[in-house]
Formats: sequence, C-alpha cells, structure tokens
Amino acid sequence: MHGASLRCSLPSLLEDHPLDTMRPGDVFAMNDPFRGGIHANDIVIFRPVFAEGRPRWFGGTLIHVADVGGAAAGGLAAVATDTFAEGILLPPVRLYAEGAETDVMRIIGRNSRVPDKVLGDVKALVAGAHTVARRVEALVERYGADGLAAFVEGSLAYAERRTRQEIEALPDGTYRGSFTIDTDGISERTFDVAVAVTVDGDRVVVDFDGTSPQSGGAINSSVSQTTSGVIFAVRCFLDPSIPMNDGCFRPIEVRLPPGTVVNPSPPAACGGRIVTVAAAIDAILDALSGCRPEHGVAPSGLVQVFTLTGVDDDGARWITLLYEFGGIGARTGSDGPDATGAFFLGGRSVIPQIEPLEGQYPFVVRRSRLLPDSGGPGRWRGGLGVETEIELLVDTVVGVRGDRLEVPPPGARGGEPGRPGGWELRRGDGTVDRLGSRQSGVEAKAGDVFVLRTSGGGGLGPVAERSPDDVRADVAEGRVSPEGAARDYGVEVAR
Amino acid sequence: MRCFAGVDVGGTFTDVVLGTDDGRTFVRKLLTTHADPRDAVVEGLRLALADAGAAPDDLVRIVHGTTLATNVILERKGGRIAFVTTDGFGDLLRLGRDARVEDDRYDLWFTTPQPPVERSLTFEVAERTLADGTVRQRLEPAEADRVAAGLAAARPDAVAICFLHAYADPANEAAMAEACRRALPGTFVAASSEVWPEVREYERAMTTFMCAYVGPVMTTYLSGLRQRLVDLGIACPVEVMESSGGVMSAEAASRRPVYTVESGGAAGVVAAGALSRSLGADRVLSFDMGGTTAKAGIVTDGAPGLTHDFQIGGKGSFGGTRPGTGFPVKIPVVDLAEVGAGGGSIAWVDPAGSLRVGPRSAGSVPGPACYGRGGTDATVTDANLLLGYLNPDGLAGGVSLSRAAAEDALGRAVAEPLGVDLVDAAWAVHEVANAAMAAAIHVVTVQRGLDPRDFVMVGFGGAGPMHVARLAQSFGIATVAVPWAAGVASALGLVSADLSVDRVRTRVTALVPEEADDVEARFVALEQECRAELGAEGRTTVARSVDARHRGQAHQITVPLLPGAVTAAAVPELIERFREHYRDAYGVQLDTPVELVNLRVRLTRLVEKPPAPVAGAPVAGGSQVGTRPARFADVGTVEAPVHRWERMGPGDSLVGPCLVDGTDTTVVVPPGHRAEVDARGDLVLTVEG
Repeated sequence: MHGASLRCSLPSLLEDHPLDTMRPGDVFAMNDPFRGGIHANDIVIFRPVFAEGRPRWFGGTLIHVADVGGAAAGGLAAVATDTFAEGILLPPVRLYAEGAETDVMRIIGRNSRVPDKVLGDVKALVAGAHTVARRVEALVERYGADGLAAFVEGSLAYAERRTRQEIEALPDGTYRGSFTIDTDGISERTFDVAVAVTVDGDRVVVDFDGTSPQSGGAINSSVSQTTSGVIFAVRCFLDPSIPMNDGCFRPIEVRLPPGTVVNPSPPAACGGRIVTVAAAIDAILDALSGCRPEHGVAPSGLVQVFTLTGVDDDGARWITLLYEFGGIGARTGSDGPDATGAFFLGGRSVIPQIEPLEGQYPFVVRRSRLLPDSGGPGRWRGGLGVETEIELLVDTVVGVRGDRLEVPPPGARGGEPGRPGGWELRRGDGTVDRLGSRQSGVEAKAGDVFVLRTSGGGGLGPVAERSPDDVRADVAEGRVSPEGAARDYGVEVAR
Repeated sequence: MRCFAGVDVGGTFTDVVLGTDDGRTFVRKLLTTHADPRDAVVEGLRLALADAGAAPDDLVRIVHGTTLATNVILERKGGRIAFVTTDGFGDLLRLGRDARVEDDRYDLWFTTPQPPVERSLTFEVAERTLADGTVRQRLEPAEADRVAAGLAAARPDAVAICFLHAYADPANEAAMAEACRRALPGTFVAASSEVWPEVREYERAMTTFMCAYVGPVMTTYLSGLRQRLVDLGIACPVEVMESSGGVMSAEAASRRPVYTVESGGAAGVVAAGALSRSLGADRVLSFDMGGTTAKAGIVTDGAPGLTHDFQIGGKGSFGGTRPGTGFPVKIPVVDLAEVGAGGGSIAWVDPAGSLRVGPRSAGSVPGPACYGRGGTDATVTDANLLLGYLNPDGLAGGVSLSRAAAEDALGRAVAEPLGVDLVDAAWAVHEVANAAMAAAIHVVTVQRGLDPRDFVMVGFGGAGPMHVARLAQSFGIATVAVPWAAGVASALGLVSADLSVDRVRTRVTALVPEEADDVEARFVALEQECRAELGAEGRTTVARSVDARHRGQAHQITVPLLPGAVTAAAVPELIERFREHYRDAYGVQLDTPVELVNLRVRLTRLVEKPPAPVAGAPVAGGSQVGTRPARFADVGTVEAPVHRWERMGPGDSLVGPCLVDGTDTTVVVPPGHRAEVDARGDLVLTVEG
C-alpha cells in the first residue's frame, strides 16, 4: 500500500532543498499529506547518496511510527476533522545536518505521548536509510557512478517495457467502475469513488472524474496514497512478476480532481484513508474486469483497528493497538481467502498472537474463530470474517475504527454481499452495547467482554450456480452452517 | 575393521559414503528410488561394504540424511491428524499467519498456505491456563474422557494437542495427552509441551501438528529400514541427521520426526564445519550447489548458524524466506538461504529481452541438453560445458556429454535472442546464476550483520566447485576450499556429526540479579531432560542461550551464554551482551529494561568418527593431463591446463587459470588464484598477491 509513497514525496524534498544545498551526512524527514505524504504517522526519511561530490541517489524509508501527537493516542483520531488533529506535520526538514542531529528530533519527541518509542522508530528509519546508502555506495565503488546510473536506467526501462507489453495485451477502450463508501463517521452522506480507466495501446489513463468532494472527516486519501492504490490495482491485471520500480508508473497517467476524497485540499484529515484507497482499488478492479471478464473480483472486508488502554496497579498507563481483518472477496474461479484483509494489505502475519498479548496486557481472549456464513454467497464464495471475544480483567477504555461495517462488502456479478462485521461490549449486567464503526473513549468495566467481528468478503456470480458439492464441503469445513446452506444456497445438508 | 556409513537421500541421487577406521573412504552414488527410498539406501550400503571388503557387522554406525519429513508435508502424504486445542481456538491453525510477499502481492488469485487440518478432526476442550501459568479452568476428567471418546470414534492416524499457555503449565495438556494415549493405544500422540514448549500458540501448535503429521510415516519408514538392515546382517544403530546439524537416534526421530525437516541441508553445513576444523578456519561459509538449488549457510567455531523461524515450504526473495509463507516450525534449524539455481536450472530470455536463469530446472530427467537424454532446454550445466569447465569426457556414472546438443540448446534459447556468440551466451548464463547465488550468500552474511570477507568459503555439490571461486571473488573472500569428493560432501558430513538434542522453555521475566537462581534452576532442569534423552555416557558439551528483548517489545533475539552457572553477579554482563547483540542487529541502542523470554539448551554427546581421509601421494609425471579452451573473467578464452585431482598429493600447488577434474566435478581455478592440496586431499584456493 506504499508503492507510490517515496516517489510522491521526493519532488517536495527537492523543491524545498535543491540538490546543490545538500551535504554528505544530511538526512531529511517529512510527512505532510499535501506534499507527498500519507498521514502524520507515516514518516518518510531520505538520505542523499553522494558520488563524485554530488547527490546522485537517495536512500528512502517509511514506516508508521508510534504516536506523533494529535487528538487521539497512537494516531487513531477516528473522528478528526482536520489534519491538525492527527499529529505533528513535517514539511521536508533536515533531521541531521552533515551528520549532526538537528533540533527537529527533539520537536518530534516533545509532540509524542510516547517520546522514546517514536524516536526509536525514527532512528530505525534513519538506520534503514543509512543501510541503503551504504549499499549504493558499495555499488558505486564497484561499478562507478555512471555504471550504476546506467544499470538503474536499464532496470527502470526494463520494468517500463514489460508493463507496456502487458498493457498492450489488454483490449483498448474506456472502462468505468465505482465504489460507494458507507460513512465517514461525521456526516450523514455517502461518498462515491468513480473511475474511468482508458486503455490506449501501451498506456493507461486512470481518471477519477465524478468522485465525491472531500470529507469533513478523516477518510480523505492523499495524492500519494491514492496513487499507491492505482498502481496496485493496475498491476493486478499485469504479470505479477514484473519488478516493482518507477518504470511501472511511466505508462500510467493518473488524474485526480482536486478537492475530492482521492485528492483532498488542506487542511483535510487523512488518517482514516484506508476505506477510500480500498474504494479506489475496488473501483479500478471493477472497471478493468470489464476488459478482462475472467478477472472478476468482489470487494473485501477491510482492516478493523482497535485500541485498549488503561492504568495498571502501579499507576502506569498501558495502551495496545490491535488489528483484525475481514474476508477477501471471491475471485472468478476461486473462493476468497478468509480473514486476511483486502487485496492490497499484507496478510495475517501482522496480527499478534494471543499468548504474548495475554502475557503483557490485562485481558483474556475467550475465543477467536472464523465466522460461519459470513462469506458472501455466490458461485464463488467470499472469504470469511472472524469473531474474537476479549474478556477485560480491569477497567479499560476502548477505541474502534472499522470500515464496510454499515454497508458490507457487496457481491459482484450477481453474488451476494458478505455479512457485515461490527463491535460490541457485553456488559457484566447482561446488556449488550453495539458500538459505531468509529468511536473512541468507550469506557468498559472489569469483567466486560469486548467482541469484534469482521466483515466477510463479497460473493461472485449467482448462488444458483454454486456446485452443491462445494456447499457440502463448506459445511464439512465449518465455513457454512447447515442452516446457512439451506437458507443461502438451497442445499440441505444433514447435520 | 570398524566402518561408519553416511547415507544422504536427495531428490536425484542417494549418496553412500563408507569410512573405515584405517582412513579409507568408499563412495557409491545411486539414483534415488522414489517409490521406496530404502531400496537405494540398502543397496548402496551393500555395495559400499563390498567395495571396502567389509562384513555387515563391521558397521558400527549408520547416519541417515533424509528428506522424508519435508516430502510428506509438501506432498501432503501424512495421514488424518486430530487437532486438540483449547475451547474457542479450533481455527487456530486454519486462521494462520500468512504474509503476502513478492509476486503474491499483485496476484488476485493468491491463496494462503492451508495446513492439512480438518475441521471434523478438530476437538475443542473446556480448559484454560493463563500466561503466568495459573490454571484458570482445570481439565475435568469427564471432559478429558468426552474428548478421548470422540477421538477414539474418529480413529485418526495421529493426534496433536496444543493448549493455550501449556508452555507455562503443562498440567492440562499432559492430562489430555494421557487420556488420548489411553483411548488410542499405539496411536502417535504429540503434545506441544513435550514437542517444543515455547510461547506463541500458532507456531507451537504448527510444530506439534507437523510432528504428528509426519510421525506415523517416519516410524514406519525407520522400523522398516531397521528390519531390512537386520536382514542384511547389519545390527548397528541407525541415526538420523536432525535439522540443526546434530544427530538423533532412530527412536528419537520416530518420537519427534519434525526435527528432521532440514536433515539433508544440515548435512552439507556439517560437512563444511568438519572442513573448517582441518583448515583451522573459525568462520566458514558453506556453499552447496546441486542440480536444482544452491544453498548457503555459515559455520562459526565449528557450529552451524541456526534459525528459530524455519518455514516448511516457505518462500521469499533472493534466498531469504519470509515468515508467513509456509508452515513454521520452531525447532532450531540450520540457517540456510536457498535459491533455485543449480546445474539443471534452465536459462531463458523473457519477452522484454532479459536473460533469466531458473527457477525451472531440467532435473535429472530429462536433464541438461548435453546429457543427451532428451533434454532440449539450455541449462547452467550446458553453459559450463561450453565455457570449457566441465570435463567433456563425461561424468561419473557413465554420463557422456554432447557439446553439439549444448550448443544447439544455448544457441536457440540465449545466443540468438540476445544476438551474441555462444561463449558470450554461456558466460552470461554462468554470471546470472552466480548473481542469484550471491543473493543467497548475502542473506546469511550481510543480512545477519556478518562481513563475508571474514569467512573461508567452502564449495561443494556437483556444480559448486565450478562456481565457488568466482563467487568468492565477488564478496572479497580470499580463501576457498573444495573438499575431496566434493560431489558427495553432504554424505561425508553425516559421519562427522555428533549426537545432540535441543530443548527450550519459555520463562518471561525481568532480567535482574534477583531472578538468577530461578533461571539457573530452570537451566539445570532442561539439561537433565537433555541427558535423559541422550544418555549420560561419553563426553558431552552443553550450550546455553537465552531469548531476550527490551521490555514492551514483541520480538526477541537469541544471545548465547558464556559457560558457567547463571549467578546474580553474572546478570549485568548478560544484559550488556544482549545490548551488544541488539545494537549489532538493529544499529540502535535503547536503555529500556531487558526481559527474558526463552531459555535454550543444546546438549551434544561426542561420538566416535572415522579418521579424516588421507590424500594419496602425488603421481609421478605430474598431475597435468592436457589442456582445453576455457573462458575466464577479464582474460577471456585461454587454453587452460587440465589436471586430474587424484594424481595430486599434499603440498601440490597449481596457478590459475587451470582446471582440476575430479571423478564427479571440476574445480575451476581462475586467473590470479593458487590452488594447493592439503593433507586430506582438499583443494584450497587463495587469491595471489
């Protein structure tokens, strides 16, 4: 989901700091969403690599760092209404000048609720950029600066050539797609992401004309983030083995109307942009499946993020930020994978395990299971969501942020939607409080059980075309209940 | 006579090496018998004994390297396994922890690795232990009986049990295992607290599950092998190479078969380690290039580098495997980076005009074009033949080589599309294969914070000796060694390994002097478990290590302990060592308190081994038998002197460019290198000047 992040940031750096002002040992930091950044927590570091006395290349790194201030701990300002509520903003600034740390480091630390953590993260980014630079320098030593430059251009040209060859194989034409975002958590309206993808010989134009104006909430997706989504979605229709570099972008023109959710104007909040970039990707997948009918995919459940925080016995604050994933949409010819997030996310390996969590925090996980019947029914079934129950052992404050919960991932080509996920608190007195998609500061008591369910992926193709054997196999493996088989597929399965 | 046998079953060949107590070595190379690998094992042993003029009861030890466990898992040939776990977590293995890497990222049809676990054979049990070892819900006998009855009705081939936090208190899990064993007498039952009691439920459960999955197959295989050897009159014990480079008894391998997942790869690294002792090198880079893959690993002070994050069937880029791409097993495994570049790797030009080598391989059937067995694809071996490296007279085992077939294949696949001549095309294939293998070397050295220039590189396997010197050069490595009988080095490594066992225990606690006595007591208990497994007799060595982290972090790093007991006085030094390791690994220094996560013990029992082979005396008239044109970097094609390895003796020395033909491989000595024969007959190459 960061395929375009460094390429979108670098021009702003060069605008503010021309090459001839850079010195060996300089390191730059930036995160401004309106200058190529994504949102405040995604800090980008650049370190110039000098050859023959001038900067020829940059080592660049990016991670989501720990808290950088703003209205909510950990960058989860679910209902931020402008960028200033989301943390400290960094235009391109020197973090190190000729090897010496600048005061910027102290400013970043002072603006964080967990200064040690965030500075540790920033220093890790710097160490990464140094490593890149050292290795590039070793290449310069071995091949010479011009030799390396020739290789770099060669590999960019190679990726470009293969991308063009693959685009050329797509039938020419303009293909339209769209996706509607259910809510921004602030206003009463929905948001459309509309796209027209024009395949013209060996090039592609992706135009978001017709997309809704930007949100007063946090769901806006910066140019950088939207562009990452575009390159991801287009690449899904090309040979996946093409190496990823800037050459892949050369045949692709991206048109982002200003003032929309895919290219917001300042001071829009951008931290909740996952839902929008996912919408942009699903709109493009929808559009391009028009030229490649065998490439049909249904939309997926997305990531659900939540924080649990409290004060332990000796008065210290504890806070943990956790994720769960929805089911992936069905693909032509294949059911969607379970609980592994949208196509552009990285998979379940980022979700912490229960044993180490219970060792660190005052809660007990009572169950974590695939949710039967949550995958959207269809000729091809959507992937399943999950249900996790967490028993809170102490008074805890809960914050949640989820998307595609009010309107679940829709089906495609006659398939049914996935079952929507959600959040709830089962109180000690037996009452159940349903939480909204995005909510922070929810107070829970010791003994309450926090429940999260993620959405299933959408189904693809009419249910009637699903083979009863596949339905029976789903029942045997617990992905569909016998009741669900009868209700959703009309297939009776003995218990 | 006393004989020691190493038997390495690979994808193509089964290598048998027999060492005698008077220093002779006998080698047999047979095609692997895939229907029943034991056929080639038994036949190879019979032939090698005959070669040596030895009787079956002269054999005192057989060490077996086998890919059985990996094959069973990757080919899904294990049986129906019941998975028994804590109520609420029956989907633990199916949910998995996949990561989307490389090509998968843009593949809308990606699938996550699904373990061979069936919902209908999954049993959830009412019980619960907490992270601190408190039993929140005891396993009631009635509940254990209910589950055991369900299991008995389902009649699985084996049972895997993993309860949450069983590493902290195994009582519930042990009671469940006991009930299972009662209900299913004779059925293989693996409990996580017995197999690998380490925190993190997914990896521990998967390790346990895979143990159960492989168990019945391994038990049948080993007991059958035993019987066939007894029929031959061979009564000595069979031992199995385990994944961390030690050896385990057949009984232990039957109990914990998952320990053999990297048995074959480990043997090669052990061979390089054995060579490191005779070379007097404390850091060795092991480079094993065979028919389909090349593997790189490191050996420090004779001990192979290990990883605790092995993924069965894992993948990643450039030889590194990424968590989440296969099935993780937590047992220690030799840290190998593997790339799909071997002698059989196929060279091709992609649609955008870029030369590629692999990952497809011509394997042994049909094999490289030059083998004349029907292969028409251009392979690395074909390129090496056209470069003049491979002996055109053919290979051991009567394989003759067709230069015309190699020219035809390489011309069509590479030279014509690229518009270059045949030798340039062959050189390009050789160099692209080298670049892929260099990436694997990079993974186990630079990515681990190690400077490759501090290493001696050991090249073996059928194709390794043709590539190793040039690869070493690209890393600035000054010394290269190619072991005598390089083509069967892994089998030789088997007989040089000692018996060993690894145990772990999770203990999350602040690393402070007050905890020292408790930690020491736990270490002593772990060592006792190890001794119970290996037996007390003979000389043993103990290596202790801890996994530690900064408080608040999720992941830990392994720090070896200095010899001696853990005392309050020793704790500050241990903290300092952790901080050093952390700095080396991440380049940053943190001042936060340190906590322990896992305690690890490895116990090794030193066993009798055959003496190192002794090189024959040089043959009168010298070792050179002719010349052939060969292509080298910088100097181009030259008429290179050709030597026969077996005509050389200790102290013989050659100057590159030249070629040394052995029975199963050729050592390429590039310009600027000197090659010398050591006392064992190994060739040691050094960069001149």
